[in-house]
Amino acid sequence: MKKIFTLLILSIAFISCSSDDDNTDNNNNQSVDTPANYQFTRNGNNTVSYSGQTQRIAMAEELISALKDPTRNQESLNAMFTHVEGDQDFNDPDMLELNASSKNVRSKTAASADYFSSNSTDANAIKANFDSWISSQVNDVFPNWGNTASPGNAGLAQELGGSIRYVNEKGLEYNQAFAKSLNGAFLADQICNNYLSAAVLDAGDNVTNNDNDVLVDGKDYTTMEHKWDEAFGYLYGAEEDETAPVLEADSFLSKYLYKVEADSDFTGIADDIYDAFKLGRAAIVAKNYTVRDEQIEILREKISMIIGIRAVYYLQGGKSEIANEDLPSAFHDLSEGFGFIYSLQFTRNPMTDTPYVSKSMVDGYIDTLMEGNGFWDVTPETLDQMSENIAAEFGFTVEQAAN
Amino acid sequence: MFKKIILSITFSIGFMFACSEGDDMDNSQNDSFDRGNLQTNLADNIIIPAYQDLNQQLSLLVTAKENFITNSNQENLDLLRNNFLESYMVWQSIEMFNIGKAEEIFYRYQMNVYPTNTDEIQNNITTGNADLSNPNNNDAAGFPALDYMLYGTGGNDTEILDTYNNQNYGQDYKNYVSALIGQMKSITEIVLNDWTTSYRDQFIASTENSASSAVNKFVNDFIYYFEKGLRANKIGIPAGNFSSSPLPHTVEGYYVRENSKDLTLQALNDFQDLFNGEHYNTNDSGVSFKDYLNYLDRNDLVNLINNQLDEARAKISILDDNYFDQINTDNTKMTQAYDALQTVVVLLKVDMLQAFNISVDYVDADGD
Repeated sequence: MKKIFTLLILSIAFISCSSDDDNTDNNNNQSVDTPANYQFTRNGNNTVSYSGQTQRIAMAEELISALKDPTRNQESLNAMFTHVEGDQDFNDPDMLELNASSKNVRSKTAASADYFSSNSTDANAIKANFDSWISSQVNDVFPNWGNTASPGNAGLAQELGGSIRYVNEKGLEYNQAFAKSLNGAFLADQICNNYLSAAVLDAGDNVTNNDNDVLVDGKDYTTMEHKWDEAFGYLYGAEEDETAPVLEADSFLSKYLYKVEADSDFTGIADDIYDAFKLGRAAIVAKNYTVRDEQIEILREKISMIIGIRAVYYLQGGKSEIANEDLPSAFHDLSEGFGFIYSLQFTRNPMTDTPYVSKSMVDGYIDTLMEGNGFWDVTPETLDQMSENIAAEFGFTVEQAAN
Repeated sequence: MFKKIILSITFSIGFMFACSEGDDMDNSQNDSFDRGNLQTNLADNIIIPAYQDLNQQLSLLVTAKENFITNSNQENLDLLRNNFLESYMVWQSIEMFNIGKAEEIFYRYQMNVYPTNTDEIQNNITTGNADLSNPNNNDAAGFPALDYMLYGTGGNDTEILDTYNNQNYGQDYKNYVSALIGQMKSITEIVLNDWTTSYRDQFIASTENSASSAVNKFVNDFIYYFEKGLRANKIGIPAGNFSSSPLPHTVEGYYVRENSKDLTLQALNDFQDLFNGEHYNTNDSGVSFKDYLNYLDRNDLVNLINNQLDEARAKISILDDNYFDQINTDNTKMTQAYDALQTVVVLLKVDMLQAFNISVDYVDADGD
């Protein structure tokens, strides 16, 4: 009896909704299929645009490369991070007009609407971490470029395979910490917590304008379409052809999505993500926000997974190298792991709308890794425990991530 | 099974809400709340009394200025400064009313643009007869310029008095103080007179939900003020929230130094009083935005807004009276205050405006 009553209410609700829709032009229930490609046009014109994302990724690429150049000074590295329109900070090999661009990376670091618009205090602290990795690289590591590192002393450390790593007094490569932390603080945060957030997609009159095909002045897209493309651009912005992404197109999420896809435990994730971007964009065109929001949940989960998996992967890699008695190789893995762990605080669990691993947990992990002489004396037990904890938050196993 | 049924009912209710929202697409007022009563209370019991108070304070400031000009001694300087600070506190209740004549003559830009530009001030002092209503002089006029004139024209009080008593240029400084205060008084009278003679009736009659109606504009102005005038100007900009590093010289009341916090707290109190319909400087209250939200069954939002304003007040209260020092010693407390204010912005700009079915009429104060 109760059940029937419920059904009755439900059907009334549905009927009132659908009649509502008939009265307006909002085809909120218009069905939508996953398009073959991330290709969208209006009256024959391309509506997809994310040049700002492409530029910022290229700026980050040059910066992480410059962090390994001991002839650089702090000022020039900072200038790459906080680029000001017109300053000649970049070589710009791909001719993306980086120097003329008004964009920079730092202003989009820990800068999402959902996580940081009311939390400038944490945002400032995070930006200050990135600043400090630059300054410490210049002031602590560059002067010791030719010295051999030892516990408590920065310098070089040569892997058994021959590669040379430049580490601080705790075995940490600042350039790796910086680069890998950008995966979360810059890219995942901008995608999951900014451009895919309702505060951005649905800001102001975005929904009404999208419903009525009101375009941005002088453009072929609606604001909502464009915001979605900007999310897309942070993962695929360095691709030659957005309709056929090959991945590993940059040193950030694109590269690590490629790596995770190559792990047979997670194969399929690349298509899941690309499909969700395509379908969500098509849903915006079809004004079907239910389908759009379902894709957002998929994207938040899967993009967060990339970070979680790689954090555990590198912790386990570091553990193996310690067992191989190749500490320099362990330093390298753990430095990458450091960055992915740092990135965890920017992940987004769609069930809770919070990070899979909280900022305070992340701070605790980082403190643990850096305790005492840092990577010189971190134990396999510590790395295992951390791996288990992180894997559990995401629901995969350490073994799945490790190989 | 039981869980499932509850879930279904919850879903159904969700759908119903979704549906009713769909009906609100047109831009007319969709409730029968009497906006006229709200606007009457705002005009008669808050806005006009606040302008009257400021006008009176500025009259006292004019008198104090005359005495100081006649005899530039420590006693008269102290009296003038006291009147300056009292007027500056009253100003905090006024800045959010950027509507009618105030909007037309760019009143608030003539009264409180900071940081003030001391080069321009010096230039104006030397050349004399500057047109203080010219937008180029917005950063050389109003309270911030007076702050400089009364506290920044010398390293200590003796030097300041020496400046005003200097045989060569003392009179130029006196003239500029006089011109600044004269302009502030004169434009305040213009705005007040407009309210009392004609604008009050226009304001309370313009109740429709349209981009140009007084009620829509006022709500927008009031939120914009909170976002820009209060959150950004008083806390965010000096704390470095809009730049790569903190900018302590941009605090309100930079030259007097010890009053930045008082000014912010006064502004926050005046803002909250207006939200709750508290009459200006009395213990009575009338129809308010709070009542409007309650009428729309959004007492949850009323509580959120008031609680978060209280939270922001708590964060501001622990700051040093002197923001310049606070920023240089522990800027985190400044950004925590900013964050608490930002949380209120979201409640006002998103949740409250949605409840009122009013569109935002200004572009983000922050930019991209």
